[in-house]
Amino acid sequence: MFPLAASNGLLFHWNTAWLAAAGDPTGSIAGDDRELPIWWHITWITAIIALASAFGFYRWIMQQSEGNERMREIAQYVREGAYAYLSRQYKVVGIFFIVVSALLALMAFGLEVQHRLVPFAFLTGGFFSGLAGFFGMKTATNASARTAQGASESLDRGLKIAFRAGAVMGLAVVGLAMLDISMWFIYLYKFHHLVFGGQPMSLETITVVMLCFGMGASSQALFARVGGGIYTKAADVGADLVGKVEAGIPEDDPRNPATIADNVGDNVGDVAGMGADLYESYAGSILATMALGVAAVSLGGTPAGFAGKLDAQLAFLGAPMVLAGVGIVLSLAGIFLVTAKEGASMKQLMFALNKGIWGSSAMVIIAAFFVMPMLLPSSIAWGVVAAVTTGLIVGLIIGYGTEYYTSAEYKPTKNLADQAVSGTGPLIIDGVATGLMSCWIPIVAVSVGMMVSFVMCNGFENLVMGLYGVGMASVGMLSTLGITLATDAYGPIADNAGGNAEMAGLPKHVRERTDALDSLGNTTAAIGKGFAIGSAALTSLALLAAYIEEVRVGIHREVASVYVVEGDQEFQTVNLGYGKYGIFYPGEDSDGSLHDDHFTISAIAGVGDNSLDIVVDGKPVSVIVNHFGANIENELHSGRRSDEISKLLATKRPAGLKDFTSYYDITLMNPKVLVGVFFGVLMVFVFAAMTMKAVGRAAMAMVMEVRRQFKEIPGIMEGTATPDYARCVAISTTGAQREMVRPSLLAVLVPIIVGLLLGVAGVMGLLVGGLCSGYAMAVFMSNSGGAWDNAKKYIETGQHGGKGSDAHKSSVIGDTVGDPFKDTTGPSLNILIKLMSMVSIVFAGLIVKFAPMIGAFLGMGQ
Amino acid sequence: MDLHLYLMCFRHEALVASHLTPDQFGAYMAMGTRHNTGGKVMFFEIEKNFESSGLAIDRLDTICAPHSDGRPHRSKYLSVYRAMELVPLSAFGNLYLTTRDGRVLGLEGSDYPCDRDTSRGPYMYCELCPITPRVVSNLPPAEFIKRITDPNSLVNVPKIFIADTLLTRDADGQLASYLPYRDPKHIKDCLDVIASKVDTIGKTVDRDPPLVAFYRTLASGFYVGNQEGIKHYRYPSAEELDSEHMEWWRSATMD
Repeated sequence: MFPLAASNGLLFHWNTAWLAAAGDPTGSIAGDDRELPIWWHITWITAIIALASAFGFYRWIMQQSEGNERMREIAQYVREGAYAYLSRQYKVVGIFFIVVSALLALMAFGLEVQHRLVPFAFLTGGFFSGLAGFFGMKTATNASARTAQGASESLDRGLKIAFRAGAVMGLAVVGLAMLDISMWFIYLYKFHHLVFGGQPMSLETITVVMLCFGMGASSQALFARVGGGIYTKAADVGADLVGKVEAGIPEDDPRNPATIADNVGDNVGDVAGMGADLYESYAGSILATMALGVAAVSLGGTPAGFAGKLDAQLAFLGAPMVLAGVGIVLSLAGIFLVTAKEGASMKQLMFALNKGIWGSSAMVIIAAFFVMPMLLPSSIAWGVVAAVTTGLIVGLIIGYGTEYYTSAEYKPTKNLADQAVSGTGPLIIDGVATGLMSCWIPIVAVSVGMMVSFVMCNGFENLVMGLYGVGMASVGMLSTLGITLATDAYGPIADNAGGNAEMAGLPKHVRERTDALDSLGNTTAAIGKGFAIGSAALTSLALLAAYIEEVRVGIHREVASVYVVEGDQEFQTVNLGYGKYGIFYPGEDSDGSLHDDHFTISAIAGVGDNSLDIVVDGKPVSVIVNHFGANIENELHSGRRSDEISKLLATKRPAGLKDFTSYYDITLMNPKVLVGVFFGVLMVFVFAAMTMKAVGRAAMAMVMEVRRQFKEIPGIMEGTATPDYARCVAISTTGAQREMVRPSLLAVLVPIIVGLLLGVAGVMGLLVGGLCSGYAMAVFMSNSGGAWDNAKKYIETGQHGGKGSDAHKSSVIGDTVGDPFKDTTGPSLNILIKLMSMVSIVFAGLIVKFAPMIGAFLGMGQ
Repeated sequence: MDLHLYLMCFRHEALVASHLTPDQFGAYMAMGTRHNTGGKVMFFEIEKNFESSGLAIDRLDTICAPHSDGRPHRSKYLSVYRAMELVPLSAFGNLYLTTRDGRVLGLEGSDYPCDRDTSRGPYMYCELCPITPRVVSNLPPAEFIKRITDPNSLVNVPKIFIADTLLTRDADGQLASYLPYRDPKHIKDCLDVIASKVDTIGKTVDRDPPLVAFYRTLASGFYVGNQEGIKHYRYPSAEELDSEHMEWWRSATMD
């Protein structure tokens, strides 16, 4: 037992070099000049390759003919509408980002509960996420008329233009994400301490700071998905209900005032929204896995084969980045594999697309076989390779499972169409049932994939390493995002091309070709969506673990903000209350000051093989080290400190995930956890309800406007007057902006409120409840909506009476119900799951510090 | 400003004078001026010089003069009851089919010899004016019209306007899946009934058929006739409609 050292009150430590690593309470690694790992160059080089290729494809697209004057005019309308929307959205999101950044700055600089770079990381994440969506939309709006023109020449030419436009989106997303990660890493690892002084940052700190830019990306993605989803469905419903049903105007008829807004919606929802969404998924999975990699070494010890802890941490941190970088190059190779001969048939085009997806997936697996053993020790490398392979296979299984339940080629959707004959009621019932049943494939696939990845990385022996394996599976799944996103984004471009061809009155064969491209896109999009949704689930597990790492850092930060060593005391212990303790050593800082944050050890109450007994305020306490400041850890392990206490501390490993679950009582018997789970489930349902109601309200405004135009503008139906397209675009824009704020705020505020009231245990419950119910709900809604949509299309091919029949009328209602399911709420739930995790991670410091106080005040324990 | 005479005979009949061209008249009737009215309209253009009693044809220019400000007179109803029987067959000009959004397709009529075809059915006729049931019959169009307008029959009409609609069947004898008829099984049962009753004029399938996706169900086209003669308005094939009348066909296949 340590000798007693009297606590002398709390002295707040304020470091004037506020961005300096010296202010980093989690410690730093000695040495100003750390060598940059060679693999880092892969990250920026592949990012540049992706962005350069995207630019090259973009230039090639812009060199293609945009068709006749009418086609250009229509494309211009759509472009203007899309830019008008994005401009408004970025203003609203800008305000949100300013407010949240200010809040984060207050937390960082005022309350000192998080790192001071977090507000900046948050901003860059949001900026790059928005930029990815913007690039995708800019390309898509430029590509639609060109695709229609290409289709007028040949089917494969149309495919080439649309697919390359999708590839711009895919490559821009992965390129920007990788560039952002790469630049943050080199800055934090190599330059931050040089710029602001102090010690280099520890890798733990680097990864948790970088993880915080995920919240910026998630927030941007949520706004883009929710806003875009509301926009597109409001326009769609307005165009359909008044244009089609009331006025009897066919789809994409230029007489319909909402038709341009409908086409704009495809771009802002399906392209910009999806781009921001997948940027966040991609970056989030890499960042969470990096954090777990570092934690795996910190907690599990340095594996054999490494010179030291730093080398090992760098290798585990680098593996997801390298895999993603290799995936970029192989996605690009896959994109070039998508070629078809002049006059290719649909089957050949489908084969060409599959060749690209399967080809790049296979190449990533092969590459992982060579690359992972170079980075990681063989004891874990093959497990990681297996996890990567598992991730890719799980993605494909989910994709094809989605296709099975939503494509009219297969039984479920055919059966759904059969129900349309009986009426709308049975069709709705069967659509809901189909969506519910469809959950089994993604859930079983993700569950099996999770277990396989976990086991392959020895998770039952080393928990964090197992979680690292799960993280690598999600990185593997998204490693081919460059091409899977290309196949996903290509769909709306082909759809818009069809709209352009229709409105411009292009010949029948052109419309047939654009329809064929659209139909091809629907199939490949199912695979892309499978990857997106599957990765959300896998990443969320990694984010749960990353949350605990943030809690660790939060506790340490709280402890570090209190420094108590006075005079010639050798060390001091401080009770911060609620089972949190600080052990402080006087240190020798480079500036000669008496002490340094890095000479801090934080600890939590606990008993186990790694616990130690100390005396605080005259009372014996059993604690487990939460975190060693990096400098003191170096001192302890280097043997420079030979005192008895140091020797003892050197033998103690820090608290692992299980120690934290014990400390915070994260068990199902703790009502806070269960209440958190309920809130997580409730959150999903309330969010779903809010977004769907938002679509209803925004659609109603559109319906009124379209009716007004038909009534007040003479000559629209006769084709002698042009409808006020801009007004419909403005209405959809305003409606979407107004409606997206509340659900988005809910997603941000609830994790903080639950955290403050129910603490870390409640947050864990919230995240688990949100993950499980959100994942199932997202699959259910996306697949129900997809099945209703395709059942309608199936009937339109001439089944059950074809277009205009009673069965068709029922299927149209099913499709209308399914539209917000699959295009607004379903995809937004993916982001909700991750945003809640990200918010929890970013605000972990706040929760760790204040939740125990609030809990004690409310009589709910700490 | 030309004056036109139109006979609307889709479900209800009306003889209307108008300064609008057929395209304009169709759009006007389908959508109204403020789009408060809606629905498909079918009408014939009628020669103005036929002799009639009680239809005021000879006073058309006075009754349907342009408005004082020079605007055309869109519609002046001359008769809304038993108008078709008062118009001689020889005065029937083109038939115009409109969609709900006001697109108009004109079909040229031709005299249809009563002995033109004798092939036995089954056929399915959609009677459009003056009575409106859907019937299945073994009789070809000319024979069917002769029988139903036969004054010696206990039940007859002086003139009838019908459409010959599709009865395509698949290999199993079931109606083809793309046909949008309500309760195809009942139609099949009706066909079984007339198959065993060769002499019957037909069997009513539906007294008030909803005519969903009507323009998609048309077979050889429309027939208007009585004991004196028959006019046939050939309906183009789907391929012709798609390639030559794309805008109308897209709109027509909407519902």
